[in-house]
Amino acid sequence: MAMVVDYKHESSFPYWTSVCRRFEPDSPFFSSGNLERELLAKQVALDLTEDERNQLEKMIDNDASRSVFCPIVGCGARLTSLEDFEDHYAARHTASCSVCSRVYPTSRLLSIHVSEAHDSFFQAKVARGYAMYECLVEGCGLKFKNYKGRQQHLVDKHKFPTSFDFFNKAHPSKKKRLKNQQKRRMHKKDEETSSKMEVENETIDGLVSAVSKLSTSDSSPSNISFGRRNARGLTFVPRSIQPPREKK
Amino acid sequence: MADDSPASHRRDPIKSSVGNVAAQRRRQNAVTVGKERRESLVRAKRLCRVGATGDGDVPVEESDMITDEEGFLLDAQTSSAVEELKSAVACQGKGAMQKRVNALRELRRLLSKSEFPPVEAALKAGAIPLLVQCLSFGSSDEQLLEAAWCLTNIAAGKPEETKALLPALPLLIAHLGEKSSLPVAEQCAWALGNVAGEGEELRNVLLSQGALPPLARMMLPNKGSTVRTAAWALSNLIKGPDPKAATELIKVDGVLDAILRHLRKAYEELATEVAWVVVYLSALSNFATGILVKSDVLQLLVERLAASNSLQLLIPVLRSLGNLVAGDSHTTSTVLVPGHEITDGVVKVLVKCLKSDHRVLKKEAAWVLSNIAAGSIEHKQCIYSSEAVPLLLRLLSTAPFDIRKEVAYVLGNLCVAPTAGEGKPNLIEEHLVSLVQRGCLSGFIDLVRSADIEAARLGLQFTELVLRGMPNGEGPKLVEQEDGIDAMERYQFHENEDLRNMANGLVDKYFGEDYGIDE
Repeated sequence: MAMVVDYKHESSFPYWTSVCRRFEPDSPFFSSGNLERELLAKQVALDLTEDERNQLEKMIDNDASRSVFCPIVGCGARLTSLEDFEDHYAARHTASCSVCSRVYPTSRLLSIHVSEAHDSFFQAKVARGYAMYECLVEGCGLKFKNYKGRQQHLVDKHKFPTSFDFFNKAHPSKKKRLKNQQKRRMHKKDEETSSKMEVENETIDGLVSAVSKLSTSDSSPSNISFGRRNARGLTFVPRSIQPPREKK
Repeated sequence: MADDSPASHRRDPIKSSVGNVAAQRRRQNAVTVGKERRESLVRAKRLCRVGATGDGDVPVEESDMITDEEGFLLDAQTSSAVEELKSAVACQGKGAMQKRVNALRELRRLLSKSEFPPVEAALKAGAIPLLVQCLSFGSSDEQLLEAAWCLTNIAAGKPEETKALLPALPLLIAHLGEKSSLPVAEQCAWALGNVAGEGEELRNVLLSQGALPPLARMMLPNKGSTVRTAAWALSNLIKGPDPKAATELIKVDGVLDAILRHLRKAYEELATEVAWVVVYLSALSNFATGILVKSDVLQLLVERLAASNSLQLLIPVLRSLGNLVAGDSHTTSTVLVPGHEITDGVVKVLVKCLKSDHRVLKKEAAWVLSNIAAGSIEHKQCIYSSEAVPLLLRLLSTAPFDIRKEVAYVLGNLCVAPTAGEGKPNLIEEHLVSLVQRGCLSGFIDLVRSADIEAARLGLQFTELVLRGMPNGEGPKLVEQEDGIDAMERYQFHENEDLRNMANGLVDKYFGEDYGIDE
């Protein structure tokens, strides 16, 4: 294989080492204790609410990075506290496909998934040789003619794990994994040619009805509204959906 | 802002006046007062409301509510009190001294009435030069006391107000000497404590003017409120960030002995302030830490932690212990030897702190434990077999985030052998297996999901230990059961490259194409 980006995880994983940790007296680590000292000395410690305490702590702690921001690429939302992150993640980064229930951290990725997995018009363009598979990293902009090409790009250029598989976003069950293994071994030679994405395990009827109810679970204005250019094309779904093909 | 109870120290919003402008002013006032109050709460300065000698004839106001009108009145009274003082100072002859003392007393009362004394008015009227004059050598004790008291409260507020005391500093320092009466020395120490509490700049001025030696000497006696005020002022003076004041302090003759004596015998309020001195000595000065560790101080700290239930005392004592453990390897290698009585004592008091209701105590106790657990294998075994572990496991799932992070450090350190050169440290399989069996993995996976980089890193590092170290290849299965794969896959679209690589690396290595095949 051409470029294998092996980030040598054997040697570059920062293993747990047990070391002593020391803090300067003005370290944010000690802020709450310092605050408590002054409050107790003024005998107001008991008068304050949790909120007021947090406010006061923020005043002592000059470290500006105490503001927590969502670390998901392209989000950057300010979180009121670390405890809030889970809720924020559940609300904003679990866009799920109503057709096949796969979950994505952004609506953009969900929309890419929907085009690639449930849109025959997309497949038609692919068949005609258009570069339809866009890079998943926002801002990159590159497009590829096949899934594999895009996959390789993600691994090489953006250091995605080699096991990353955009189509199979959910981690497959054990049975599934065994099946994948077998198929992989049997159809290895087809890997180069096969680039069609099929919709696995969907009945055609289910697909037609589900597609018409397409929605995302996050509340941000969705750019995958049903009024996409290929929406109408989907009514011809029975014809254009390929029968389940071999897996890669 | 709506709390009107007399016990609160808030200013009442404007009671009178109608109309839009008044309403706006009211709102603005509330915001300013709120901000002012918050700032005053977090300051390391202290107002002197009741005199060092417990001035009997001053009726201290029960409630601090001042309306705007009352505020204006106070300012006006203050200005005229300063005017009075001015003419009193200019006076010569027989009744002059009494006149000065009366004027000072009046000003002092006005500056001690409420939580927000009329400092601005006093400064504007030109109080400082007059007060400096009143501090001149040869003045009566009463005069010195009142002048120092006024200066104390002027310095207890905003930065620019504290800085206004600059001209008075040399005289305040001079009156710390052993020739001064105790109440005068104490009041001067209080004023200087407020100045030192302002910031590094003023601390450096005080140090260069020689404030440290006389303050240190004031800490040596056994009794008296002076000792306590001096200790507090010293803690403000040496808090750095430059370590040289701390180093200088421990070198003063008799200081180490006094510290030990007070930690051993003093009443809790004094022991508290002395403990804060130890906090800064041990956090800033390696020299001081070395000396302290070789003394009895560790034993004394343990005894205080065991005997007291006062949060005010426990915080600095615990932190001193933590700083001594963290600051000098001698502590864990030579003093806190596993199996020795003192070591058991330390673990016991740390367990007591973990059990307490107070967030600060739990967090800092876990920190100290994590550092002891970073010691030798015997140290790890000692903690592993103590009462601490069940507590830590519970805290890992239920405590607030900052405590969970420290607990994670303890548990992880217990599972990893001391770092020996390059390469990955060896696992302590027995500890790892036991802790995982007791359910700690889900707590760590939770940390993997956190938005805090440090916590996420810890989570991933522990996950790696589990994946690598659980016998019979159980690791991956266990991680999968706790939704660990899901948690790690989140990092594919995470902005932090290190974490991304860590998570991706683990997923690749342990959950690649061959995962689950051989079953």
